[in-house]
Amino acid sequence: MVRNYLISSILVFLPWLVKADSLDFFRSTGKMYSVVAVVLVLFIILAIYLIKLDKRITQVEQNKKHES
Amino acid sequence: MKYWWWKVLAIATFSYVLLAGLLTPLKSGIYSVDKTKGLLGSTLSLHVETYNTYMSSALQNVAFLKLSDNKVIRSTSINEINDYTAKINFELPSELSTGKNAERATLIINNEVDGSMILPNAILLKQDTTLIKQNGAKWTALDVASLFPNKGFRFPYRNKLHETIRNTFFHVAIWFAMFILLIIALVYSIRYLISKDLQFDYKAAAFTNISIYFGIIGLITGAIWAKFTWGAFWTADVKLNMAAISVLIYAAYWMLRSSIRDVDSKARIAASYNIFAFVVMIPLIFIIPRLTDSLHPGNGGNPALGGEDLDNSLRLIFYPSIIALTLIGLWIANLTYRLQIIHDKTLEE
Repeated sequence: MVRNYLISSILVFLPWLVKADSLDFFRSTGKMYSVVAVVLVLFIILAIYLIKLDKRITQVEQNKKHES
Repeated sequence: MKYWWWKVLAIATFSYVLLAGLLTPLKSGIYSVDKTKGLLGSTLSLHVETYNTYMSSALQNVAFLKLSDNKVIRSTSINEINDYTAKINFELPSELSTGKNAERATLIINNEVDGSMILPNAILLKQDTTLIKQNGAKWTALDVASLFPNKGFRFPYRNKLHETIRNTFFHVAIWFAMFILLIIALVYSIRYLISKDLQFDYKAAAFTNISIYFGIIGLITGAIWAKFTWGAFWTADVKLNMAAISVLIYAAYWMLRSSIRDVDSKARIAASYNIFAFVVMIPLIFIIPRLTDSLHPGNGGNPALGGEDLDNSLRLIFYPSIIALTLIGLWIANLTYRLQIIHDKTLEE
């Protein structure tokens, strides 16, 4: 729940954060967004892997608890 | 935690890649010109938009139209409207004197703040056959020594690419890292088949796992980059389809592993399949796309990793990025492998 809330709040505020001052040369052609999107995708997919790893570790931990 | 130094190296290198890769400015460049044709013997007035320039603070703006090093017209006047827009006037000579009716000229703008900006094949100069005026304008040679050099550490400005040239550090580097990790997985698979030691199978599985994730990142980041430069997320391009197929072939490795219960036969079949998948991937990604036409750089007469697309300033970030992403992949594979060992131990107890 907490995680979903965090993700959705970041997604809601992202355009507002990015559009703060959009007239400088860095963002004037709009192509800087592609670099931001690429870095985000890289991080999000690595994060998905880490979440899955986290779940597997929890599983192993619970297996150990049941045995002892 | 005896050999922890490479983890610190991974974090430090990737932080460097993010900082230097995102904060280094691009070189100045010409973004758009309002005309594409010019009649010889007349006055050509261009409205030019530039990128990342300080034209109004520069005092010595000068523009050239260039056919070759010995055939250059210097602008008669430049009116800087602001830092990014200017009106440039050329007095075109009445003849091309190359024997041709029309030829494309390269537009060059130079000043002491931004250095040189070049737009290749910007203006088509056409011979006007009905009226031949003599306005006294003549072709001159380009005096390269009089041009102001580009200053500072900057990434190259490429038309259509613009800021997306920074994606090289992530999209291209993650494919390189994936390839290195797959080679490691292949070596472990072969070692498993030789020794029948299960720990090599676990290592091969861990490396293949993270490689598939890297491949998926490569496909998605490539789609985003394509949207911003080619205009579509996916095209029926050989390189794209073949890369997707090879990721799918590796994804089948997952299903193969999860569908076999017996540990030894699972390990044996998975190891053989891993070798097969690697051998298939090489023609799919590296050979077939080179035999046909492709939009993707590095294929079918479309060179990559050279020229302006990967100059030395980009290499300074690109190579560390490959190292950083490979180390991050090693790290994650290492965690997966250790977890698998613990998982096995808890089952044995």
